[in-house]
Amino acid sequence: MQTKSGLISGNLEEDNIFRNVFEKIQTAILIIDPLEHIIVDANPLAEFLIGRSRDELIGSPCHEFVCPAKCGECPITDFHKDVRNIERAIINAKGENVPILKTVAKVQIQGKEYLIESFIDIIDRKRSEERKVALLAYLSEALLRVKKPLELMQQDLLQLAGQAKSGDYDTEDIRMQLQINANNLIQIVNNLEVLQKKALEGKESEIPPAFREFIIGK
Amino acid sequence: MDDENLTRDETGSSLCLLLAQADKVYDMNLMVVKKILHANCIPVIVTVNKPYRILVKMYAKEGIDQDSYYVIDAVTKYSGGECVPGPHVRYVNMPSNLTDLGIAVTELLRLVPEGKKCIMFDSVSMLLIHSPTVTTSKFLHFLVNKLSLADVSGIFLCVEKGLDPVIIAQMSAFVDHIVDGDKADTILCHL
Repeated sequence: MQTKSGLISGNLEEDNIFRNVFEKIQTAILIIDPLEHIIVDANPLAEFLIGRSRDELIGSPCHEFVCPAKCGECPITDFHKDVRNIERAIINAKGENVPILKTVAKVQIQGKEYLIESFIDIIDRKRSEERKVALLAYLSEALLRVKKPLELMQQDLLQLAGQAKSGDYDTEDIRMQLQINANNLIQIVNNLEVLQKKALEGKESEIPPAFREFIIGK
Repeated sequence: MDDENLTRDETGSSLCLLLAQADKVYDMNLMVVKKILHANCIPVIVTVNKPYRILVKMYAKEGIDQDSYYVIDAVTKYSGGECVPGPHVRYVNMPSNLTDLGIAVTELLRLVPEGKKCIMFDSVSMLLIHSPTVTTSKFLHFLVNKLSLADVSGIFLCVEKGLDPVIIAQMSAFVDHIVDGDKADTILCHL
């Protein structure tokens, strides 16, 4: 039986057990009528993540909040796709996209089929992923702009020692090359400071998308 | 090795990213200049590491005549040295001035007599001290386009593993060949 207050079985004891689980579980759950594509129940965590009350959610079309698919293009009922632990986003009351990990399961309740959409908020994981990308970008940039040039400078200085010993190069030749290496060292120190500052500020948006994709491996 | 292969392909020019170990970049510079000359190409060396006067001495020791090559020198001013003008050299005030570096390439290529020309850029890795990877990548793309339009070959020296895979992937899209140092001889066929 479906009412405005959600699904009830008619068995008070069972209802109490499952209602308690439904309300206390730390996974957001929406129960959806697959024929009408409307939400028939929502647990408190789903209310919290979506930013709308249960009363507002019940009776609303599911694609308004949890699925961008248009009518007739439902991945579950129209395209029969398996949605299990898939990264998606919900649109909260402020219109913001909240990254989630969601699973959709079909269930029979009182002889009628419903979809159980369960999802968890992965915004912290996403932030941590962004930080990881920023850190790896910092390390990669530091490697390219510090370690490799230092290797070349090391070779240059070894060569310079040889030049000084050979007598083929005058004082100005040696001075110029030493000065270039000294200037390069100053520049490398500056680069490290800039890179460190960027890493600390978490300027993830400055990381080229191609590099981000390479780091994340997607 | 068949030096007769040291001719350009039907499109007229060839662009190559040459990867070498850090301790081989100097030898690679000398080897590439010799190969370019041997192929009857005129070398135009862009140096962001060695000043012109040092290159002149280094090449002279290897028997390379000062009049046989041209140099764009981005480090003499940077070192506080004297920029002695000459018909075979153009100076840029510092390696980070990529705009002037690009202009100098255009100007010098106009000055170089008619015939096959090949730019050798020494080195992409040293340029990364002065410019971020993204800026360097854009500059190299710009330079490669300029060379292609001018029908000039180009060899870009770089330390092995001195570029991130994304830049390598980008570079591979706009150079004709990416060659490992130990196979450097094959660049003869790509000039």
